[in-house]
Parts: sequence; structure tokens; C-alpha cells
Amino acid sequence: MADMELDARGLNCPLPILRAKKSINDLESGQVLHIIATDPGSVKDFEAFCKQTGNELVSSGENNGEFVFDIRKA
Amino acid sequence: MTKRLKAAERRATILAVAKVLFADKGYHGVSVDEIAKRLGVSPAVLYQHFPSKEALYESVLNEISEKRESYVDTILTEPSDFKSVLLGMAQLFVNSISRDPDYLRMELMSALEDAPAAQHFFENRWRSFADYIEVGLKELAAEGRASDVNPKAASLMFQGMIRELLYVKCIQGNERYKGMALNSLLEQMVDLFLAAIGYKQAA
Repeated sequence: MADMELDARGLNCPLPILRAKKSINDLESGQVLHIIATDPGSVKDFEAFCKQTGNELVSSGENNGEFVFDIRKA
Repeated sequence: MTKRLKAAERRATILAVAKVLFADKGYHGVSVDEIAKRLGVSPAVLYQHFPSKEALYESVLNEISEKRESYVDTILTEPSDFKSVLLGMAQLFVNSISRDPDYLRMELMSALEDAPAAQHFFENRWRSFADYIEVGLKELAAEGRASDVNPKAASLMFQGMIRELLYVKCIQGNERYKGMALNSLLEQMVDLFLAAIGYKQAA
């Protein structure tokens, strides 16, 4: 169960990443942000985002052209 | 090395050489013989990988138009205000194109030819700026930190500005702007854009 949800549908890079950065700032360590995006580039972007920030990419997947990510704040 | 890997490498080499020639002379200015000669192979080798010059050109365009910049570093290293992100994105983009202006040449050619690739160039290259400016401007206007300007007109103005900067500095090499460094010009143009939209930094 996510602690916060971010709807980034219809937004192209870098807006989903920028929104995620701001959302994660409002979370406590260990809490999870659930993101929904439609930009195919967001898959690579969120992998890079987690690698560089140290936050954990708990899960990612695609469903009907929508990409979903769960990121746990470090 | 496996045969398949060799074939993939050969294909990549053909695409790289063809890109340089097409970017320089356009589709009609380059023959298959010339590409083969530059590669040091016979035209028959080229036809093993691409059935026609048109197919080769389309492959070059497709490969180039699929290239996207990643702005993750920009987002993570720059402050998150509208100006810092926009300038950071523009700097990354302009410096990337200036290292290989053939990308811009091919984009301009595809625009003239009305190729479907022209739409890919927009989706993969310019849409990041269009979305960022249009969404950002709506939020800024709601906070009273930008004038009530049309977001689409503003984003188009920005795209045109960046494209012209790259054209003048990286392709045309116009003497008139020789004394002005690319990044310095970019910063001044971004400031002009921000003034045009009535941008106010958060208090």
C-alpha cells in the first residue's frame, strides 16, 4: 500500500521526475510513493532516478500503455 | 565474435557513415556508391543490410529521431524552480547537439521532406520543453508569478529560439555571432524568454 500517489499521466520527461522529487521530499524514510506515467521514457528515467538518489524501486510495470512505479524513500 | 554481432556492427557502421553524408548533402546529394566507397566496401555489401537507398535513409532518420536526452541529472542537481530547471535542460540539450550538429541537420531535412520522422523529432526532442513550459506556465500564472500569456505560444517561442541558436552557432557559423559563446548566448536568450513571460522568482 502506497503512502502517496503521483499521477504523471500525459506528462513527458522531465516533469514526472521533477514531480517525484518534490513528492518524495514530503515523505518519511520507508514510505512508498506510487507513480502512474504514460511516457515510455519514464521507465529508464525512474531507474536512473532511484540509482542516483538511493531510493528503492520496489516495483515497476506496464499496463495498457501506463507505466507504474513504487518507490520507497531511503 | 559471432556472425550476428559482426552483422550488427557492420550495420551500425553503415548507419554512422550514411548519417554524416546525408546530413552534409541531403538525400538526393548522396549515392549508394559514395556511401560504399566511404565505407571501403562494395555497394553489394550495403544492399545486404538495406534493400535501397531510401530504406537506408529511413533507418538513419529513425535512429536519430529516436534519440532522447535524459534530464534526470538536471533535475537531481539543479534547484527545482522553473528557471533553474529550464536553463539546465536547455544547457544539456544545446551542448549535446553542438557536439554532433548532424542531428540538427537531419531534423531540418526531415522537416522539409515532411517525413514522419519530423513528428518523432518533436516527440523525442522538443516535447520535453513544450510540456515543461506549458505546464509550468499554468502553475506560475495561478501563483501570480508569470503574465497571462498563451502557454502554447510561449513554448513555441522557446523552441524556435533554441533551434535558431543551434542553427546559427552549430550549422551556419554566422560571423555576426562568432564573438558570442554558445552557452553565454543561451543564458541571455533564456533570460529574454523569462522576461517575455513576466517570470517572477518565488519570494
